[in-house]
Amino acid sequence: MTLQECYAAMEGDYQDALGRLRSDRLVQKFVLKFLADGSYDLLTQSMEEENYAEAFRAAHTIKGVCQNLGLTKLLNSSSELAEALRNGFTPEAIPLTERVKADYRQTMAAIQAFQKEIEG
Amino acid sequence: MNKYSPNRFITVSFILLSILTLGIFVFAARFMDWRSTETINDVGQIYMESMSRQVSLHFQTTIDLRLNQVETMVESASPSREIRNPTITHNRMKEILTDSAKVREFTCLALLRQDGTFEMIYGDDAYITDPAPYLESLRNGEKKVAVGTNVTGEDLVLLGVPAPYLLENGEEALALVAGLPVSYIVKTLSLDEDDTMVYSFIIRQDGTFVVRSADATRSSYFDRVRELYEDVGGLTPEQFIAELENSMKEGRPYSSEFQIYGEKRHLYCETLAYSEWHLITCMPYNSLNSSIDKLSGQLLGMAVSCFMIIFVGLALIFIHYYKMNREQMTSLDNARREAEHAQKKAEQAQQVAEQAQKDAEHANRAKSEFLSNMSHDIRTPMNAIVGMTAIATTNISNTQQVQHCLKKIALSSKHLLGLINDVLDMSKIESGKMTLNVDQVSLQEVVDSLVSIVQPQVQAKHQKFNVFVHDITVENVCCDGVRLNQVLLNFLSNAVKFTPEEGTIQLSLYEEPSPKGEAYIRTHMIVRDSGIGMTPEFKEKIFEAFVREDNARVQKTEGTGLGMAITKHIVDAMGGTIEIDSEPGKGTQFHVTLDLVQATVQEEDMILPDWNMLVVDDDKELCESAVASLRSIGLHAEWTLTGELAVEMAEEHHRRGDDYHIILLDWKLPGMDGIDTAREIRNRLGDNIPILLISAYDWSEIETDAKEAGISGFISKPLFKSTLFYGLKPFTGEKSEEHVEESGATDFTGRKILLAEDNELNWEIAEELLSDLGLELDWAENGEICVKKFQASQPGFYDAILMDLRMPIMSGYEAAQVIRGLDRSDANIPIIAMTADAFSEDIKRCLDYGMNAHIAKPIDMREVTRTLEKYLRPSK
Repeated sequence: MTLQECYAAMEGDYQDALGRLRSDRLVQKFVLKFLADGSYDLLTQSMEEENYAEAFRAAHTIKGVCQNLGLTKLLNSSSELAEALRNGFTPEAIPLTERVKADYRQTMAAIQAFQKEIEG
Repeated sequence: MNKYSPNRFITVSFILLSILTLGIFVFAARFMDWRSTETINDVGQIYMESMSRQVSLHFQTTIDLRLNQVETMVESASPSREIRNPTITHNRMKEILTDSAKVREFTCLALLRQDGTFEMIYGDDAYITDPAPYLESLRNGEKKVAVGTNVTGEDLVLLGVPAPYLLENGEEALALVAGLPVSYIVKTLSLDEDDTMVYSFIIRQDGTFVVRSADATRSSYFDRVRELYEDVGGLTPEQFIAELENSMKEGRPYSSEFQIYGEKRHLYCETLAYSEWHLITCMPYNSLNSSIDKLSGQLLGMAVSCFMIIFVGLALIFIHYYKMNREQMTSLDNARREAEHAQKKAEQAQQVAEQAQKDAEHANRAKSEFLSNMSHDIRTPMNAIVGMTAIATTNISNTQQVQHCLKKIALSSKHLLGLINDVLDMSKIESGKMTLNVDQVSLQEVVDSLVSIVQPQVQAKHQKFNVFVHDITVENVCCDGVRLNQVLLNFLSNAVKFTPEEGTIQLSLYEEPSPKGEAYIRTHMIVRDSGIGMTPEFKEKIFEAFVREDNARVQKTEGTGLGMAITKHIVDAMGGTIEIDSEPGKGTQFHVTLDLVQATVQEEDMILPDWNMLVVDDDKELCESAVASLRSIGLHAEWTLTGELAVEMAEEHHRRGDDYHIILLDWKLPGMDGIDTAREIRNRLGDNIPILLISAYDWSEIETDAKEAGISGFISKPLFKSTLFYGLKPFTGEKSEEHVEESGATDFTGRKILLAEDNELNWEIAEELLSDLGLELDWAENGEICVKKFQASQPGFYDAILMDLRMPIMSGYEAAQVIRGLDRSDANIPIIAMTADAFSEDIKRCLDYGMNAHIAKPIDMREVTRTLEKYLRPSK
């Protein structure tokens, strides 16, 4: 599995990431680092605790990371979630959180598969 | 509507009632007057009757008494004794009679002979005035009274009683007659008394007076009537006399009225007993009248008073009623007015509501249309992207061309992003919260990007697109580049939309000194098209949101309808004006005038060697503006309009040994085009002279052809000073600053940046990218740490802070605020915000919290470089 295939699997924009980070190496480096990013855990935890200000910030951070890495699909859902939480809780936040979770799982699965391949 | 008729009714009925009342009273007064006259007549008649009866009775009584006296005398000296002893007793008898007669105050006494003469016993001799009826009655044995006159002329009343005394001549006497003066009768009957108003006459049947009152001087009453009486009971005096004579003949009493001396009097006539006489009694109405008049006056007064009282009462009632009515009318009127007012208000409210509904429906419809049309504005740059992608795909091996395509794609993408941002921003614009992101902008870049976006659309519609740039003295200005781009692009894409195929679209740009001062430059931007134009009505509302001309011609043209509204808001916010000149069917011109601040950093001095140049373009204006621009960078240029002429001019100069240093050729020329011209020049003059092709179109398609024809290079329209400078510079032979354009050219080596970012991954990416610029970065995981690290550093240690805004513990806003409040010499350190929120209000908030600038995430190296260049102090 190549990095491009990984991007295709998580419906990201490889060219965008490459345009920003300028080398395949860096894209790979940062994509793998995304596995360790704690923003998602913060988001799910904050949503459970109904701390929506913190959940907004977490969603916003995920959005920022996704922008940098060109993770388009997750970027879109996290961005929408961030807007739904910007001024406090709105009912749309619940289904959007589920969408973010699904997209996140898809993204993680792709990256993990990619990681397995290059390490294996 | 006869709203005042009740009042009129009242007035009319009041007047009628007044007239009626007055009429009744007048009638009543008249009637009473008439009745009182009647009554007076009646009373007068009754009074007169009794009066006259009284008088006649008194007369009868008096005469009776006297006749009785004479009878008594006759009885006491009876003629029968005399007959028995005629001699002695005759004298004796006379003595007795004389005695008893004198006692009874008779003025004379006589014996009546058969022939009607007297044998006087005593007193003066007398004779009877009218003896015939008198003698007649006495012969019949009746007592009788007559009037006579004695020898002295005194009038006498002669009372005769039949008595057969012996006369001196031995004959038997007819009667004993005693005389009384008439005055006695008058006195007895009080006929002559002045203290009574009543006066009487005694007349005979022929009208001659027996007894008359003092003022009756005539011998006959009838004469008096004829002369004095003015009117007798409605009859003429003669008729009256006739009637009176008749009545006297028949012995009936007679009553009438007459007028004498202007006075009404009542007359009553009655026959007197023992005589042929008639008593006429007259009474003036004066006294009776005066009391009756007084009475009727009182009555009239009473009537008038009553009338007045009733009238006043009526008037009061009417006035009161009228007033009440008026009040009622007024209150009714008021009520009606209020009702009308209320109705009007209700109607107004209804109108307002209807208007509001209409507005709402309009807005709703406009918004629906907006949603369905919005795709168009997005489609424009999208088409450019798709088209460029297709070109790049077909030329994938040609790296240069692919790069060119990618550059165009990047431009269009940027524009697309900007557009989407604007659509999202529209509500903020509408509520007047729009903020401008003022930055240093190159007009050349703005126009370049516009041309590359508009070009594909213009080509698709086979329209002619000209860009004129002249008198641009200041290329770098302070302005919101994205917004300016948006304004011009909006005008241009409208021009493309509303101009038919083969039409002309023109963008002109020029500058002049600004009246606002030396720091400003007045920039004119004119977009003109030969399109369908606008009606004056539509021109009025072109800047309203969601509006498009409702016209069959534009139905098939799609658009959001937001463009003009946004444009207007932007230009207003920039303090500029938009002038529209449009005529249906002829075309439209939008003229934007902006007073822009000149950028402090201007281009390096753009001076090229003093070359001779030739500019070839079929547009005279463009030639002139190009020549002017070239002159401003130190070049001398000539121009011509066709390829053929250009070849001739080049040859001419060549013959003179004064070759042009560079020839600028427009690609599209009438007749011989740019490439043909270049080929011809090369054929005739060789390869020594650089020939550059100027074109507003993408030259990738013709590049191979052009190179083969001997074209040395390309310059894109419009011909800004900088475009010309950088396009021509390579031909100076100096290569010194060629690579300056590349990123990383700005050397930030050794500059220290404190970067606040809570996400490690983001931090690492930023570090990776920014360290390429030679920057040294320190990481702060949140705002608090950022502040601490900054405080702990030596003043001047950091050159700038890059600040994420959303961080735990302390946000970027707060951190910036705290840092600005620190008591440090470098508390004014440049702080640049980084955020994924591209809303203008976020940018404004950043500035409000004391930050210097704002860059969008994800990190765009060009933007970061430019921003840092602007804010980093010059190298130590």
